Amino acid sequence: MDFERFVFYVFAIILIYAAGRVITVRNPVHAALHLVLAFFTCAGLWLLLEAEFLAITLVLVYVGAVMVLFLFVVMMLDINTSPLREGFIRYLPVGLVVASLMLLEMFLVVGARNFGAQSVAIPERHGADYSNTRELGNVLYTDYVYPFEIAAVILLVAIVAAIALTMRKRPETRYQDPSRQVSVQPEDRIRIVKMPAEREQS
Amino acid sequence: MIALSDYLILGAILFSISIAGIFLNRKNVIILLMSIELMLLAVNMNFIAFSYFLDDTAGQVFVFFILTVAAAEAAIGLAILVVLFRNRQTINVNDLDTMKG
Amino acid sequence: MNTIQVAEFGLLLPEIFVLVMTCVVLVVDLYLTERNRDVTYVLSLLTLAGAALLTLGNYPSGTTVAMYGTFVHDPMGGLLKLFIYVVTAGVFIYSRSYLRDRGLYKGEYYVLGLFAMLGMMVLVSAHSFLTIYLGLELLSLSLYAMVAFDRDSPTASEAAMKYFVLGALASGMLLYGISMLYGATGSLDIGEVGAAVAGSEDRSIILIFALCFVVAGLAFKLGAVPFHMWIPDVYHGAPTSVTLFIGSAPKIAAFAMLMRLLAESMGGLQPDWQGMLAILAVLSLAVGNIIAIAQTNLKRMLAYSTISHMGFLLLGVLAGTPEGYSAAMFYAVTYALMAIGAFGMIILLSRSGFEAERLDDFRGLNNRSPWFAFIMLILMFSMAGVPPTVGFYAKLSVLEAVVAIDMVWIALVAVFFSIIGAFYYIRVVKLMYFDESESDEPINVGMDMRLAISANGVVVLALGLFPGALLSLCAAAFP
Repeated sequence: MDFERFVFYVFAIILIYAAGRVITVRNPVHAALHLVLAFFTCAGLWLLLEAEFLAITLVLVYVGAVMVLFLFVVMMLDINTSPLREGFIRYLPVGLVVASLMLLEMFLVVGARNFGAQSVAIPERHGADYSNTRELGNVLYTDYVYPFEIAAVILLVAIVAAIALTMRKRPETRYQDPSRQVSVQPEDRIRIVKMPAEREQS
Repeated sequence: MIALSDYLILGAILFSISIAGIFLNRKNVIILLMSIELMLLAVNMNFIAFSYFLDDTAGQVFVFFILTVAAAEAAIGLAILVVLFRNRQTINVNDLDTMKG
Repeated sequence: MNTIQVAEFGLLLPEIFVLVMTCVVLVVDLYLTERNRDVTYVLSLLTLAGAALLTLGNYPSGTTVAMYGTFVHDPMGGLLKLFIYVVTAGVFIYSRSYLRDRGLYKGEYYVLGLFAMLGMMVLVSAHSFLTIYLGLELLSLSLYAMVAFDRDSPTASEAAMKYFVLGALASGMLLYGISMLYGATGSLDIGEVGAAVAGSEDRSIILIFALCFVVAGLAFKLGAVPFHMWIPDVYHGAPTSVTLFIGSAPKIAAFAMLMRLLAESMGGLQPDWQGMLAILAVLSLAVGNIIAIAQTNLKRMLAYSTISHMGFLLLGVLAGTPEGYSAAMFYAVTYALMAIGAFGMIILLSRSGFEAERLDDFRGLNNRSPWFAFIMLILMFSMAGVPPTVGFYAKLSVLEAVVAIDMVWIALVAVFFSIIGAFYYIRVVKLMYFDESESDEPINVGMDMRLAISANGVVVLALGLFPGALLSLCAAAFP
């Protein structure tokens, strides 16, 4: 077994373990952390496939942003987890049967018979001067400029939607308005009331 | 060296785990969302493996866009989750039964 | 280094215009107060009118692929886009009074609606799996947010969550199928994939495997049985102004997605997907029509009726002939027109604090307003497929296409379930004309809504009396 194969199997085992824990642990925070582990090992596997840019993007965007958002929401919502586990055992047989049947079928199709080393040649490794990022950048802004613009619109939709759904002005919150504070005039603060002096009791 | 089939089988295992996760955690929306992330990870694994073995960048570009869209999707999904929690004080799918018919 | 021709951007003008105008609406809306919200509304309608002019001005006569093979300019795309504009305009007009009565009259509704429409336009003229996926997600993400738009309604947020989870699951299935197709053919371009699929014999097991995932994903998005469970809850739970949108224009885009994915890129596998679609279509017709009878809520009833109509749409596509495709296209656009009309009637009868979504709310409508009762009659007859409405010709042309490929049994099944389905449409008509009304509240809506819904009913009738022009336009899209 060469070193590359060894690395592949170690990462694959960790990845499967982490993914399995994501769907079986009791606590959503632990599930999120296992998902982070799965992303990290997946990034390692992508490095073996010479997709360096995407491996780093996966760590930066997914672990750095998406999973933090997940953790943030899990902790903010203060979810009572115990009732969420009911039915886990009940669905376990069905879930396992469906998943393993599916896996079996997928094995038959994607297994060594169709995609093994005999039928798909393993390509040569690129040299040290090859830059995956440059390669992707070259096509991203030329061949894929139209999808690129649509992706930008999708991100804009996400911003608009997330703000429209969750931002609310609470009536009990008091805001400072600096422009009003600065432009305040003495007349706004003090009201001078003219009133006749009280007559002395005679 | 590692054959294409090894990567594809790994992708298939991840995909099946995510399907199992959707079956097992029908009640917990947060884990459902995480299962969907796993499913996209399996798809990405497939694309990158094919891209390497076909020596074609299109697969990697597709993964780039899937990552972008998945980030947007997670943002909207979690926003809906927060709205749901504010309204119902629960994320238990079983309690989500106001509609019948 | 290959370069892009400036002329290619001319083909994309409608998309560019809609994007720029949506951003303008987004910014202008920030400076408006609640009272001036009509400016947003008018700007959104102007956007649609402008896009329609741009599409008409450069109406495609042949097929041109642009933007490095990610975009296609063809007659099918042109016609579908025009109908998408019309239906979206109807949605905006109908939903205005509904939104205002419920304190939801906000710019975000129009901005998200326009973004969803942009997603449909991208989807309709996609020529690469990448653009199909991105267009689909742009559409779906906007719709998820619109369903949850009424933030204080528990049913709406519940519906949004269900829609989101199942929609994301469907996207995952679709993507897995696309990844296998990419692996088997080595391309994301629909033309190249189509050629590779048609030419290959040896790896067909992989292609069929990919096909299963793609069909499952598509069936989820269309809402075909057995992937339909989200439809009734989402239609019921969403605000009616959003149900109106989900139930109409996206069906046109879904048809385009079916065509691009199945007919154009996997045309070589037509015998394989024909069987799958036949099962989905028969199940959808059966389940949709039978369960709809048991509904007392009109929104749920229309949801199940959508499922059965999607069954009919699939029938046209599965024929795999140009006649079948044009029949399915005719079905998709006319169904969208009927659907906004029917949901528009619910909005018409609703008022502040009252949702006219129960069947009983339509009792005695004839006494309250004979004209609107007549329009509802046309819409219901059209959905049931009673001549001389347009629904009759839509069903007829689909059935002709199916009979032409010698699948008479499936045509008979479709006719049988349509007759069962006619029952619940006719029941609405009976309630309107022969029952006593529960309330005599006058119908109080704006002039734009009255005109639009009247036009909607008249168009459904007129297209039924003179279907020739639209039928030939649809036929011209598939030479």
